[in-house]
Amino acid sequence: MLHLWLIPALPLAGFLINGLAGRRLPKALVNAVGIGSVALSFLWVLKTVLAVEAWDAAHVERYFTWIESGDFRVGFDLAVDRLSTVMLLVVTGVGLLIHIYSAGYMAHEGGYYRFFAYLNLFMFFMLLLVLAANYLLLFVGWEGVGLCSYLLIGFWFLKKSASNAANKAFIVNRIGDFGFLLAMFLMVVTFGSLDFGTVFGAVEGKPPGTLTLIALLLMLGAAGKSAQVPLYVWLPDAMEGPTPVSALIHAATMVTAGVYMVSRSWLLYTHAPGALEVVACVGLFTAVFSATIGLVQTDLKKIFAYSTVSQLGYMFLGLGVGAFSAGIFHLMTHAFFKALLFLGAGSVIHALAGEQDIRNMGGLRKHTPWTFLTLMCAGVAIAGIPPFSGFHSKDAILLAALHHAPWMYWVGVITAAMTAFYVFRALFLTFFGRYRGSAHPHESPAVMLAPLAVLAGLSLAGGYFPVTHWLDPVFHTEEGSHAAWAVWTSVAAGLSGIALAYLFYVARPGLADALASSLRGLYTLIYNKYFVDEMYDTAVVRPVVSGSRGFLWKVVDAGIIDGAVNGIGARARDIGGLLRLLQSGNIRNYAAWVVAGSILMILGIGMWGGAR
Amino acid sequence: MQSADFLALLPLIAVSAASVSVMVLIAFHRGHRSAALLSAAGLAAAFAALWPAARVAPRTVTGLLTVDSTVLFYSGLLIAATFVVAVLSYGYFEKRETRREEFYILLLVALCGALVLVGSRHLVSLFLGLELLSVPLYGMIAYLPEQRRSLEAGLKYLILAAASAAFLLFGAGLIYAQTGTLDLPGLVSLIRAAGPGSLLLPAGLALIIAGFGFKLAVVPFHLWTPDVYQGAPAPVAAFIASVSKGAILALLVRLFAPVLEVASVALIFTIIAIASMTAGNILALLQDNVKRLLAYSSIAHIGYMLVGFLAGGQMAATAVAYYLVAYSITVLGAFGAIAVLANGHGEPESLADYRGLFWRRPALGAVFTFMLLSLAGVPVTAGFFAKYYVLAAGVSATVWLLALVLVLTSAVGAFYYLRVLVALYARPDGRREVREEPPLSRADWVLLGTLAGLLLSLGVFPNLLLAVIRRTAG
Repeated sequence: MLHLWLIPALPLAGFLINGLAGRRLPKALVNAVGIGSVALSFLWVLKTVLAVEAWDAAHVERYFTWIESGDFRVGFDLAVDRLSTVMLLVVTGVGLLIHIYSAGYMAHEGGYYRFFAYLNLFMFFMLLLVLAANYLLLFVGWEGVGLCSYLLIGFWFLKKSASNAANKAFIVNRIGDFGFLLAMFLMVVTFGSLDFGTVFGAVEGKPPGTLTLIALLLMLGAAGKSAQVPLYVWLPDAMEGPTPVSALIHAATMVTAGVYMVSRSWLLYTHAPGALEVVACVGLFTAVFSATIGLVQTDLKKIFAYSTVSQLGYMFLGLGVGAFSAGIFHLMTHAFFKALLFLGAGSVIHALAGEQDIRNMGGLRKHTPWTFLTLMCAGVAIAGIPPFSGFHSKDAILLAALHHAPWMYWVGVITAAMTAFYVFRALFLTFFGRYRGSAHPHESPAVMLAPLAVLAGLSLAGGYFPVTHWLDPVFHTEEGSHAAWAVWTSVAAGLSGIALAYLFYVARPGLADALASSLRGLYTLIYNKYFVDEMYDTAVVRPVVSGSRGFLWKVVDAGIIDGAVNGIGARARDIGGLLRLLQSGNIRNYAAWVVAGSILMILGIGMWGGAR
Repeated sequence: MQSADFLALLPLIAVSAASVSVMVLIAFHRGHRSAALLSAAGLAAAFAALWPAARVAPRTVTGLLTVDSTVLFYSGLLIAATFVVAVLSYGYFEKRETRREEFYILLLVALCGALVLVGSRHLVSLFLGLELLSVPLYGMIAYLPEQRRSLEAGLKYLILAAASAAFLLFGAGLIYAQTGTLDLPGLVSLIRAAGPGSLLLPAGLALIIAGFGFKLAVVPFHLWTPDVYQGAPAPVAAFIASVSKGAILALLVRLFAPVLEVASVALIFTIIAIASMTAGNILALLQDNVKRLLAYSSIAHIGYMLVGFLAGGQMAATAVAYYLVAYSITVLGAFGAIAVLANGHGEPESLADYRGLFWRRPALGAVFTFMLLSLAGVPVTAGFFAKYYVLAAGVSATVWLLALVLVLTSAVGAFYYLRVLVALYARPDGRREVREEPPLSRADWVLLGTLAGLLLSLGVFPNLLLAVIRRTAG
C-alpha cells in the first residue's frame, strides 16, 4: 500500500480546518495550514513516485465497493501510473508555488482564510480527478473542480460581472458534462464497467461506431472543461476571479483536465480514428482562432486567457495526431510558463493597484525589474525559442503534426508566430516605453517574487525533463518527423513574431494604430472576438430566457413569482373577504388547470384506451 | 378480527393512540414540551411496532388494508419522516406565541391517513386515508393565523384539495358503476385483462389519476405547490414534500404498476412525467425565494420518480424506493435548515437571507450544502445514487425519451441549486443587515447532523439501504 488516499486527503484536511475554524485562526496559521497541506501532499507524491518500482502497469489501490448492482461494480479506487505521475507533480508542484504566491497577493483581501479554504478544496478534487481509477470517480473530481472554479470566480461576488462570469462558466460546462455523462452510460452499456483497466482491456473488437460515439462524447466533455471551440467562451470571462485563481485553475491545472482525460482514454481514441481526427481539428482550429483574438486584446489577463485557450488547442492537436506524450509534455511546460505569465501579470496588477489595461501601463521595466525579468523568461518559453521549455514541447507537437498532415503543421507554425507576437506585444506595452498610467508602481514582496523565480527557472529549463521518454511505454506513440527544416521554420516563426512586436510597439510605436485604422473592419471584428458571445446570446441565451419568462412564467405560473401575496391575503382578513377568494383570479386559474388536465386525460384514455 | 390482525395493525394503532393521548394530555395539562415528547414517544413506539407487525406479514386485514413487507417499509419511512417533522416543529413553534400543542394532534392524524393510504387495498380505504391525510393538512398549513400567507395557503389548499377529492370520489363512483367492485387488486387485474374498454371506466380511471396527480403536485395539477410551500410553516412544507407525496407514490408503485400495461395510461403518465421534470426545473430557475424554489424542485423530483415508476419491473420498484428515501432525507434536511433559521417574525426566504450563511454558521451551512448537492444529484450524496438508479431503471427498460429528458432537465436543475449554494458561500454583503438568526437547540443539531450523516453515508455506501429495500420493498 502506498496510501495514495493521503495525496487528496491532505488538502481536504486543509479545507476543513480553514473552512470551519479559519475565521478564528491567526493569519500565519491559516497560511501554514493552506500552504502546508499542499506541501505535504507534494512530498507524498514525490515519495510515491520514488516508492513505485515496477511502472509497467498502473498501481491500483482498492478501498471499498461504491456501487454494486448485478455484475456492475464501481469501486472507490485510486491508481497511479506514469501518466498520472506527470499530472500529480504538475498539480501539486505548481499548485504549491501558487499557494505561496497567494499568501502575498491576497494579504490585503477580506475573507483571506476562505480563499485558502477554496483553493485547498480545489486541490482535493483535482488530485482525486488525477488519481481516479475509474470514470465515475474521475467524474466526481471533474464536477468538484468545476464547482470550486465556480466558487472562486465568484469570489469577487460583489462584482456583477464576476457573478455573470461564474454563471456562464457553469452553464457552458454543463453542456460538456452532459457529453461526459452520456459517454459514461454508453460505456456501461458497451463494456459493463467504468474501470479504466476493464474498459481499455475490452476495447479490441468492439464496434467502431460505438467507440467513435463514446470518444466524441468524451471530447465534448473535454471541450467544455478545457475551453475548446465551441465551448471556449467561458474561460476569458473567468478572468474576473483573483489572479492566483486564474493561474492555478484557468491555466495550469483544471483546464488541462480535458487533455488528461482524453490521454487517459487514448486506447479508445486509437480505436476510433475518426474521433481522433476531430480532436486534432478542434484543437488546431481553437489554437489559431483564439490566437487571432489574442492579437488585439488590451486587458493583460484577457490576452493570457486567449493564449491559454490557444495553447490548450495545441495540446489537443498533439493528442489528435497521435502524439499523446507530446501533448502531455506541452501540458507540463505550459503549466510552468502560463502560471508564470499569470502570476507575473498579477504582480503587475498588484503594482498598479488593480490596473489591467495594457494601454495604461508601459515603462514598468524600471519599477518592477524582477517581475519584468521573470515574465521575459515566460515570453521566450511560450514563443518557442530554443533551448527554452516551450520550444521542446511545441516542436514535438508540430513535428508529429507534420508527419500526420502537412497542412496542420503549417497552420500550427502560423499560430506559433501569432503567439510570439501577442505575448511580446503585451510584454513590450507593459514594460517598455513611457509609463502611461497614474498609479505609483512598486515591486511586489518577496513572497510573491520567489514563486515567480522558481517558475522562471522551470520555464527556461523545463524542456529537459524527459517527459516523452518517461511516457513512451504508456502510449507506444509512432515516431514523429525529424525534418530539421521544420524545426527551424517554427523557430523562425517565433522569432519573427517577436521581431514584429518589437517593431510595432517599441521601435515604431505609431505603426500599430496606423495598421489598425487602415484595416478598421477586420480590427473591429477581431477586437470584438468575432462577436461569438453576441451570437450565442442572441441565438441561445435570449430565446431561452424570454421563452421561459414569457411563456412559462406568465402562463404556467399564472404570473405569481416571488412571494406576491396577490392581495388575496389582505382581503381575506375580514371573514366576508374569505368568500371572495373563490372569485380571485388565481384560484380559478389553478382550478381551471386541474379541470382541463382531467378532461384531457379522460379524452386520452377514452380514445386510445382500447389499444393495448 | 383476530389477534394477528391487531398485531399487523400495531403501527397504525400506536399512532392513533398517540394522537388521542396528546389530545387528552392537552385537556389536562397544556404544555408544549410534554405534547411534543408524547408525540415523539408515540412515533418511536409506532416505529418499533413495525417488527411485531412484520412477523405476521403478509396479511390482509378486513379486506381494506394490506400489511406486507413493502407496506411496512414505506410505513417505516413515513413514521421516521414524521418523527423528524415533530422534532423540527418543536423547535419551530417554541419560538412563537401561538397555541402550539394542537399541532401535534394534527400531525399524528395526518400520519394515520398516510399509513392507511399506503396499505389500502380498497377504494374506500384509499379515499379514507387520503382525506385523513388532507384534512389535518389544511389546519397545519394555516397554523400561523397571524401570517397572511399561511392562511392564504391553507385556504388555497383546502379549496383545491376538496375539488380534487371530489374528482377522485366521482371517479370511484364511475368505476363502481361499471365494474361493481371497489377492491383495488381486483380492479387492477380487471383493467389489465380487458383494458378500459367502454366509457365509464376510462373516465373513472382518469379522474382517479387526476386526484393522485393533485396530491403529487405533478403538471398540470401542480399550481398550488409554490403558494402552499411558501405559506406553510417550514416543518409542514417538509411534511407535505416527504410524507404526503411519499404515501401516494408508494401506493402508486405498490398497486398501480400493472395498469401501465394499458398504453394510454402509460402515455398519460409519460406526458405528466416529462412535463413535470421540464416545468419544475425551468420554473425553479426563475426563483429567488428558496421555499418556492424547493416547491418547483419537488415537482421535478416527483417527475424523476415517475420515470422509475414508468420503467416498471423489479429494478424500478427498488429505484423508486431508494429515491423516495433519499429525497425524504434531503427535503427534510433542507426545510429543517430553513425551520431552525426561522425567528419569531418569520423564516428566511429570499436568497439574500442566505448570503454568506456558511461563514456565519459553518455547520448549518455545511448541512444545507449537502442537502442542495443531493438535490442536484452530485456524487457522494444519496441524491446521486437515487438519480442514478432511476436512470438505470429507465435505460434498462429502454424508455429512452424519459431517460433523456431526465438527464437534460437535471442538468438544468443543477443550476438553481448552485445559485443557492453560491449565496451560501458568498462574501457577506456588508451593506445588508443580517436578519436575526436564533441559536440552535441541541435536538436540532442532533437531528440535522443525523440527516446529513445519513445522506453522506448513503452516498458512499448505498448498499446499506439497497439491502433493506431488496429484502422488503424491492
